[in-house]
Amino acid sequence: MRFGRATIACALAVLAVYGLLIVSLFYFFDGTAILEALSSKRVLFSIQLSLVAATVATGLALAVAVPAAYALSRYHFRGRELVDAILEFPIIVSPAALGAIILIFFSNPVGEWVQEHVLQFVFAFAGVVLAQFITTLGVAVRFMKSAFDQVPTSYEMVARTLGATPARAFFTVSLRLAGRGLLASGVLTWAKALGEFGATIMVAGTMAMRTETLPIAIYMRLSTADIKGTVALILVLLALGLSALYLAKFFFRERRART
Amino acid sequence: MLELDRVCAQAGAFRLKDISLSVAEGESHVLLGPSGAGKSTLLEVIIGLRPPTGGRVTFAGQDLRNVPAEKRGMGYLPQRLALFPHLTVRENILYGPRSRHLRPSDYRAVVDSLIDATGIGLLLDRRPDTLSGGERQRVALVRALAARPSLLLLDEPFSALNESLRHELWHLLRALQKEYGFATLMITHDLSEGFFLGDHISVLIDGEIKQTGDRDSVWRHPASVGVARYLGIRNLMSGKVIESAEQAVAVECPAVGGVLRVNLLPDRPRPEVGAEVHVGIRAEFVVLRDADHPPKEGEFILHGCFTAVSVAGTDVTLLFQPEGKDLVLELGVNRRLLRRFGIKTGQPVMVGLPRRDLLLFTS
Repeated sequence: MRFGRATIACALAVLAVYGLLIVSLFYFFDGTAILEALSSKRVLFSIQLSLVAATVATGLALAVAVPAAYALSRYHFRGRELVDAILEFPIIVSPAALGAIILIFFSNPVGEWVQEHVLQFVFAFAGVVLAQFITTLGVAVRFMKSAFDQVPTSYEMVARTLGATPARAFFTVSLRLAGRGLLASGVLTWAKALGEFGATIMVAGTMAMRTETLPIAIYMRLSTADIKGTVALILVLLALGLSALYLAKFFFRERRART
Repeated sequence: MLELDRVCAQAGAFRLKDISLSVAEGESHVLLGPSGAGKSTLLEVIIGLRPPTGGRVTFAGQDLRNVPAEKRGMGYLPQRLALFPHLTVRENILYGPRSRHLRPSDYRAVVDSLIDATGIGLLLDRRPDTLSGGERQRVALVRALAARPSLLLLDEPFSALNESLRHELWHLLRALQKEYGFATLMITHDLSEGFFLGDHISVLIDGEIKQTGDRDSVWRHPASVGVARYLGIRNLMSGKVIESAEQAVAVECPAVGGVLRVNLLPDRPRPEVGAEVHVGIRAEFVVLRDADHPPKEGEFILHGCFTAVSVAGTDVTLLFQPEGKDLVLELGVNRRLLRRFGIKTGQPVMVGLPRRDLLLFTS
């Protein structure tokens, strides 16, 4: 019992740490600053840019992460350990360093050719998406892999013996059974992309009405000592993130009720 | 129908070595073996989910080397059944026929008759997590048979059920097999299940088939000490051959302090004089003797006392120690005999080892 209480105390401590930080924002809370922020074209653009970029980056990350995670979970192939190890690369090098690496890539002949003939990334919307995509990809694969790991392989084995091709077994069984975990992973990936700052500022810069995402807008406000404006934007970011998480939880509950 | 010819496979550090066995049409073949013997690995090779590292698997005359699992046409019932939890019972059953792109007219009659035969008609719209253990087994059986496979592979599917339910499902499986004519290859570590369901038994130990044959021959004449131990023969005594004739050998056994005469089986090699061998006897073949039940000709008699009496339901296991010997023999009797002989721990007693029931294992 004593052990149980100690662990519960730790759980409440987690809430206290983050709760205290959030509550402290309200010391500088100013309702008019929030209204002002929400009516500012520049802030609205930042919100829109953040939402669109995070959604596109998450979509791209999932398109790669779902099959990659399935391969890591199910198959033993040459280079598997290396792929598994590289997933932590974005976390190890920090987002800022990751942004610098992307910039350095675009300064190389290959990167320059890509910028010239394929798509402009540096100081552009594509750069914002790319920075968020690269930052979240490893984590997305890691999350999705654990979702697939939760599904016993015996389901696929049976599906195969019942006549399903590997692709049919994947789409009708594994994907459906891992669905809840995959959706949760998708939401977390999106939330991480929404809050991405370090790599984005390195690759896309801080151009207002062009590459200024919400986290960058927060940084810009703070750099001009506009504390109330900073708090207003943090609360907007917080509201967006929490709304997404709440919606996802609501969606899972609905699905669970139906299944 | 199914032929395995010197099949080898690797699963981590574990290796299956030169597995050869065959399953004929309509046959019930049971692969018996302890946990970790490689039974599931072998099943994965047959199903097509694990490539063999050597040898050949043929099914209905076709070499399965490059045939994927979905095209092998075998039914499979895994240990945990793996009913798809997101599908209803009906959707689970129809998953196979639909995956094989069969027309409803091709499978409806079979599926309906299987549903009738297993009594799951009222469960069709339910989800697997709302079913009892026995219902889940029946649904999994119907799902595996819905596409009419000619061979059903079973991976200890009844191991988690209680005794009476298991017996009920054994009978159901037998009845379905009789009605639909499919062959089965079942793996299990459970001897009673294996000998109930198997017409043909193969014993797999440490990745190798140690014996294969019809049910009675495997049960009566284990091929080696390892198989004998696995089949529950614990009365094993080492000795040396001192006479070797055409039909019998004499083995000097220090453990019993005498010479045991053992009949030879026609298909087993005759050991040379001086060869180290083991003599074994099933616990239920060791007989109790007293004034009313005197020893018979050919019995080796031992005097001693019981050191332990264990009662499990109607079965009684007695441990007998001959006077002045380190040997402990196990006797399997029933409660009636226990009462008739008034058996108690420490009681002096005479037991006989009938010659016809002694088994010889060359080392």
